Amino acid sequence: MRSVRLVLAGVLGSSVLIGTLLTSGVAQGASTASALKACTTSIAAHEYAKGKLTVATDTPVYTPWFVNNKPSNAQGYESAVVYAIAKVLGVKSSNVKWVVEPFNSSYVPGTKKFDFDINEISYTADRAKAVTFSVSYYNVQQSIVALKTNPIVTKHSASQLKTYLYGDQIGTTGLAYININIKPTKTARVYSTLDEAVAALQSKQIDAIVIDTPSGQYMASAQILDKNKKAIATQVGQFPSVGEHYGLLFQKGSSLVGCINTAISTLTSNGTLAQLQKKWLGIYTSVPVIKP
Amino acid sequence: MALTTDNRSPTPPLLFAKRRRRLLVGRRGIAASVLSSAIILGAIVAVFWLAPGGATVRYFFFNPHQMWVAFVGNPAKGLSSVGVGLITNVWMCLVSEVLVLFFGLLIAWVRLSQSPVLYPFRVLSAMYTDVFRGIPILLVIFMVGFGLPELNIGFLSTQSPAVYGCAALTITYSAYVAEVFRAGVYSVPHGQLLAARSLGLTHTSTMRRVILPQAIRTVIPPLLNDFISLQKDTALVSLLGVIEATRAAQIYASSEFNFSGYVVASILFLLLTIPMTRFTDHLIARDRSKRLAGV
Amino acid sequence: MEVVLELDDVVKRFGDNEVLRGVSLQLHRHEVVCLIGASGSGKSTLLRCANMLETIDAGSISLFGQSLEDDRIDPDLVRQHIGMVFQSFNLFPHLSVLENILIGPVHALKRRHSDVREEAMELLGRIGLQERANDYPDRLSGGQQQRVAIVRSLAMQPALLLLDEVTSALDPTLVGEVLDLLSDLAHSGTTMLIATHEMNFARDVANQVAYLDNGVLVEKGTPDEIFTNPRHESTRSFLERVR
Repeated sequence: MRSVRLVLAGVLGSSVLIGTLLTSGVAQGASTASALKACTTSIAAHEYAKGKLTVATDTPVYTPWFVNNKPSNAQGYESAVVYAIAKVLGVKSSNVKWVVEPFNSSYVPGTKKFDFDINEISYTADRAKAVTFSVSYYNVQQSIVALKTNPIVTKHSASQLKTYLYGDQIGTTGLAYININIKPTKTARVYSTLDEAVAALQSKQIDAIVIDTPSGQYMASAQILDKNKKAIATQVGQFPSVGEHYGLLFQKGSSLVGCINTAISTLTSNGTLAQLQKKWLGIYTSVPVIKP
Repeated sequence: MALTTDNRSPTPPLLFAKRRRRLLVGRRGIAASVLSSAIILGAIVAVFWLAPGGATVRYFFFNPHQMWVAFVGNPAKGLSSVGVGLITNVWMCLVSEVLVLFFGLLIAWVRLSQSPVLYPFRVLSAMYTDVFRGIPILLVIFMVGFGLPELNIGFLSTQSPAVYGCAALTITYSAYVAEVFRAGVYSVPHGQLLAARSLGLTHTSTMRRVILPQAIRTVIPPLLNDFISLQKDTALVSLLGVIEATRAAQIYASSEFNFSGYVVASILFLLLTIPMTRFTDHLIARDRSKRLAGV
Repeated sequence: MEVVLELDDVVKRFGDNEVLRGVSLQLHRHEVVCLIGASGSGKSTLLRCANMLETIDAGSISLFGQSLEDDRIDPDLVRQHIGMVFQSFNLFPHLSVLENILIGPVHALKRRHSDVREEAMELLGRIGLQERANDYPDRLSGGQQQRVAIVRSLAMQPALLLLDEVTSALDPTLVGEVLDLLSDLAHSGTTMLIATHEMNFARDVANQVAYLDNGVLVEKGTPDEIFTNPRHESTRSFLERVR
């Protein structure tokens, strides 16, 4: 009798335990889901322009993040992510409004005229003092882009990397990577925009640019061409991750971050983000890794 | 009515200044100057200190600690020194100025020449001064600094960006300075030209020994003005990737989100340009007193 | 005496304005001819045409029998043989008095500096300004400046001197010293064509006096003929006005 009661207690106990675990898991899923549902109704109150989701990015913007410099076509990884976020938050895609914000001014403190900015902006502690970041929507590695004729293509051991002349856009994590991780002997050249750095690379004024792997792959294969439209640059390799990730950028203390983070978590857990990354960024994961 | 000045009334006219103007004379005048200055200065300080946002302005622009860090730089964090960057601005200015004075004079000389052989050069010089006074210097810097290397023509395409920057500055400012020299030549009294030619001096000799020496003396103040302007425009060379004072300040601002670096750069530029502006004013005053001495 | 300068029916226009209407004149060696007439009568223009500072529209000018209209003529060479002195002196302010005198012979005639220097100092001595040789023109009085200007022209050893109202801008007390110098030059045989308002001077020094009215050479003759017995009405009325 006693053993039967013990077994029954055990079964009851474990089923309660399993049940609790299951329901809490479900509840968690349900709490995310309910949070999401709450967001769909509350979001309008937190928007910069009520009724519209105002999203900022730079101009021009490049593949694979956007396509044809038209953020509203939902093509390109970042454009797709924005529309996916809008969808789970119940914002109609016609209510997504795109505005222009130059990269250099996006992460400075002050009032922002948008809900969030998406432009391959990496989280850094310094920037986070001035603005608020969402959780990651992409984990980043830096890579090297150089002309095919440059010695860096074959000679890129850690000590050799220090001897080259780098150039990069001001304020980027690429530039920071050069100064902090590579530490070249010649001071890197600093340009106002990425286009100018690319122009310098093309005219052999600098040896290499450091930029995130997907952008670098596009740059090397499709953007830097000679007059016969042949690619003259190559992606030499990518660096190991240093924990860098991209986040959506918000005005400091924005009340919208919570809902957006919920949306991103949802997209991460239901595999949408992984799917989008495979679709738009998949081919860029096969670049060789080199050490600084 | 007869033409006479004696149409006035018999009582003598009132000659005393109005009460308010009398307050501004002599010692009372000095007191008025001091009071006025104190009020204006006080107003400026009040705006800075007391205005809403005054504290924010002081933190973001006039932060002494940040200003110092920006000035000396911090290579470990990738922060270039604004002070060291200024050295680049200074040497670019000096090199460009020497070249500008030379080419400016050359272009003016060609435009003022009379030989029929030099006709095509006269036309080219006129076009040159029109074109390069018309194109914003920013565009010239882009075209020279990014364009020349692309063309792949020997040594012209393999210079450093600072060299291209100096070239762009020289090309643009020579156009202005050439016109300043030309205006100076036209300002020399015509009688000087007549007297020189009447002695049988050739056009070249006349220009070289009589006209230009006088013209140059006259145009020193506007040339100094252009020199001061050139010193500031060296900042634009940062577009070619050169890290000079303003770019260093920009790098500081983009990493630290504080604009005190810009204030440091501004102060440094002022330390360079204010002595020049004061000197120019001194020259103008001295020349004026000489001219008006006999009057 | 040979003819140094000859104007034959010279016409000069500025736009629509005919300033010289067929002027003919001869200047012989050692002769002093004074041009008189109202302002705007063409005296200055005539002088500037004579040394090719202006080009004429019709007629001809000859120097030592050579026509200045010939294409092969070098105006700079012509001007080396003709000296000109201006109403406003036109000394070079950035050069000292001595350098003003040296510049022509050294840089136009290509003579040696040391040779010319001696002559220049001698010339300065003649006008009593040797100690002012290293001063700059702005330190001299008007009369002194004009005398230096005359000496500057003489240093070129010109065949003739053209003088354009050289005392009109001077303080009356300083006019005398300049006229005295011109008088000395006349007596030592310098060939001169002088435009002037100083009637007494003209009467004393001129061999011939020519009266211009509105670009026309109305009358020419000895000082006696012109001043005492003018034949034309306009000459007479002009002389009445300036008396």
